[in-house]
Order: sequence, then structure tokens, then C-alpha cells
Amino acid sequence: MLIEIVEILLKIVIILALPLGALPIIIHVERRGAAFMQKRLGPNRVGPFGLLQPLADVAKFMFKEEVHPTHVRDFFYTAAPLVALVVALLPLACIPIAAPIDAFGKTIYPEVFRSDMGIFFAFAASALGSYGILLAGWASNNKYSMLGALRACAQMVSYELSLSTSVVAMIFLYGTNDIHLIIKAQTGYWFGFLPMWGFFLQPVAALLFLVGIFAESNRLPFDLAEGESEIVAGYHLEYSSMKFALFFMAEYIHMIALSALFIIFFFGGYSLLPGMEIIANKSPILLVALQAISFITKIALMIWFFVWVRWTLPRFRYDQLMNLGWEKLLPLGIANLIVTVLFVYFRNP
Amino acid sequence: MSVDIFLSLLTAAFALMVVFSKKTVVAAFALLMTLLTIAIIYFQVGTVFLSAVQVLVNAGAIAILFVFVMMLINLEQFPNNREKNKMKLIITSFTVLVIMGVLALVINNNIEMLSVENLTDNSMKALFDKLFTAYYLPFELATMLLLAAIVACIVITSHEKHEKHEKEELLETEKNR
Repeated sequence: MLIEIVEILLKIVIILALPLGALPIIIHVERRGAAFMQKRLGPNRVGPFGLLQPLADVAKFMFKEEVHPTHVRDFFYTAAPLVALVVALLPLACIPIAAPIDAFGKTIYPEVFRSDMGIFFAFAASALGSYGILLAGWASNNKYSMLGALRACAQMVSYELSLSTSVVAMIFLYGTNDIHLIIKAQTGYWFGFLPMWGFFLQPVAALLFLVGIFAESNRLPFDLAEGESEIVAGYHLEYSSMKFALFFMAEYIHMIALSALFIIFFFGGYSLLPGMEIIANKSPILLVALQAISFITKIALMIWFFVWVRWTLPRFRYDQLMNLGWEKLLPLGIANLIVTVLFVYFRNP
Repeated sequence: MSVDIFLSLLTAAFALMVVFSKKTVVAAFALLMTLLTIAIIYFQVGTVFLSAVQVLVNAGAIAILFVFVMMLINLEQFPNNREKNKMKLIITSFTVLVIMGVLALVINNNIEMLSVENLTDNSMKALFDKLFTAYYLPFELATMLLLAAIVACIVITSHEKHEKHEKEELLETEKNR
């Protein structure tokens, strides 16, 4: 009993500490990456290569005086950032960073919540992500916040559809909804060199999912929830200091969680990176460590992709965003789903 | 057992809040909480899939649409009409009686329902095997109910539009005079 409690607590601590600890690094990479792409230097004064800049930012967020506007709906105004952060952290509960380990006479699963329905749980939790934003927009009692929240929310709900069609297609193709089995199906190589990743099986679904992530996490080119010249800062206009930081954290954690799901479906999750098998077979502990390293490397590359796209593509206009979502991606997703289902049906009748 | 009772009470409390809260947006959020607590009850019982679907569909999509529309049309500007209507009272009591009757029938006659005890395992396959064979008729009837609700919505709203249109035409003719 005690061992089980310790096990669960350890898992929770690890799953919370990894993304929260990675946040300052991601933000630093984002700012330096932005500077790199614009031929600037970026924050490079605090510490070596400006690495202590995120720490300075955290200190500033903590100690800055908070402005609590008088015209807001107090309860919901305070609740909104907390809702946003908690809901963003929820999907991480069923994302495994390594394969199940046989130790102490039983199988230990690396995810906090182990179920073969874990993938549905993750998407359900991610679907709640718009409530924090919606609450913030409404509680701020301000038309710009309101418009920003409505924009963000409409965009998230619309793109969730095409994202779901791609997920359903992948579940049909793998024939299972267990995350570990999905990853197991992607380990190995075609023709001896090409990893058996879902991306090569279903590039269309991968594209749909990728565009869906950008829209779901309100990142450029779809960051229409904010707009200096139109609606100022959008839903977090009335928030300052730590409350604003909580929204900021929620956005990045949502991004990490969705990237992890993308990697599980299309880039083999924790399956080893090409070339690692030679060392990994030596001991089971090394295997687990390498799996975790592979998974984290993949997520890091994904985050870099986010930064890259952010400074490469221009913003969409809102009607263009909605047209893309409903008139192009959704029909494409449904067509892809039908083709996949027919393929699966005729392959094993 | 105590967890079950606590969850049921919580659900009932939020459901009552939906009906009795004066602010419409608060009522919408209470509805969301009701749906989420129901999902937690499903989870507690062991049907993870049902719980996930409840959150994904009801809380994640339908409740968002409610909140969305309420925020867009700003219901707070309309006067709160809670006047006592005889017809309303009759309809409400009739509905309550029907629901109570159905519940009494089910409890008294031990009618077999799609419950967790009837499922051999909690997998998706077991659930849908039951749903599309033994319980196909209730499933289809539920869709018919939804269809009826959609048609009713269209009828109600289109009727109002028609009236408004007539009023606008009258105003225009008056202006032209």
C-alpha cells in the first residue's frame, strides 16, 4: 500500500516537474530563436548566453505588484488562470515517457493514470482547455477580453474537429487505442532504414493534427486571440503579474501536451531514435533512460518547430482561419478517414 | 460508498444551481460542472470510456456552445421573466409525474438496463456490442428525440423571425408614408 502511494506520488512529481521545469528553457529558446531568425541577439545579458534571463523573469512575475481591476467579476476572475493551468496539466497524466518496466515483481507503468482509454482521457482534458480562456474573457468584463476569448474559443472548437478525424483515422489504422500498443506498432524499420512512424503511413492525418495543434494552442500563424491593433492582448488583457504568468504557463504546457500526443501518434512516442538500439540492448535501465531521452528530444524538436513556424509564416485573417478549418481541413479529414476505414476493412476482412 | 453519496449530492447541487441561479452565465457554468461531476461518477464506477466521451462531447463541445451563445447575446440586458404561468405549472408537474412514473416502473419491475454490472468488461468493444445489438431500439429512439428537439428549435425560432419580419415591414411602410 505504502509503496503504491509512493509510486503514484513519484510519478505525479515527475510528470509535473518535467514540463514546469522545461518552461523557462522553452521560453528562453523561443526568445533566442526569434532573435536568431531576425538577425538580432536576443536576451544575452543575464548570465552566460542569457540563460538566467528566465529566472529574472520569474522573480519579476512573483514580486510585481498585481493590479486587480475593480470592474471584474471577482470569483471568476481569480478562478480563470487556475482553471487554465490545471486543465492544461491534466492530459499529461496519461502520457507515458517510457515503456512499462518489470521491476519489484510487477509491471510499473510510467504514466500516472494507466488505462487503455488513456488517449480519450487526454483529448477530453485537452477539450476543456477553452474554458479557462472563456472564463477569463467573460470575467474581465471588458469588450476586448471578451472578443479575444470568443475568438480563441471558436478557433479551438473548430479545429478540434479536424484534429479528431485524424486521431480516429490513426486509431483505426493501428487497430488499438492503447498508447503503449500504438507506440509498439511504430517501433522497427521499413527496408532496414525508414522508421515505422505513423507520419510515413498517414501524412495527411499528420498534417491535419499539426495544423490542429497550432490552432488549439493559439500559436502563430493562428494567434488571433491576441492582436495589438484589433483587440490589444485579448483574453488576458486585465491580468497582470503572476495571474498573467499562469495563462502563459498554461499555453506552453498545452503546447507540450499536444506535441507529446502528436509524437505518440506520428513519430513513435518513446520508441528509440534511429541508431540508439545498439547501446540500448545492454541493460533494461539504460533502455528506459534512452526511451525517455528519445521522447524528450522529439518533443524538443517539435517545440523548435513551433518557434520556427512562428517566425516564418504570417498571421491569418480570422475569416481565412475559419474557411481553412471548416471548408478545407474538415472535408479533407473526413475523406482521409473514409479512405483509411476502407483500407483497414479490405486489408483484413 | 460515501464518495458516491458525496458525488451525487454535488451533482444535484450544481443541477439545482443551473435552475435557480439568476445570472445566466453562472447557470451555464453550473451546467458544465454538472456534466463534469457526472463524468466523475462514470469514472468512479469504472467506465473510463463513457467518462471521457461525456467530457469530450457534453462538457467539451455542447456546454461551450451554451456559454458561447449566452456571452454573445448578453442575456443580462433582458428582464428576467419568472412570472407564474398556469400552463407552465401544468406542463412542469405533468413532466415530473411522467419521469417519476417511468422511474417507479423501472425500479419496481427490475427492467434490465445497460448498466456497468451487465458489461462483462469495460472495453469499448463490449459497450458497443451491447449498444448496437440488445439496446439498439432505445439508442435509435434517443436519436429520434434529438431530431424532434432540433425540429422544435427550428419551428420556434423561424416563427419569431417571421413576426419580426412583419413588424419591420410595417415600420418601413409607416416610414414611407
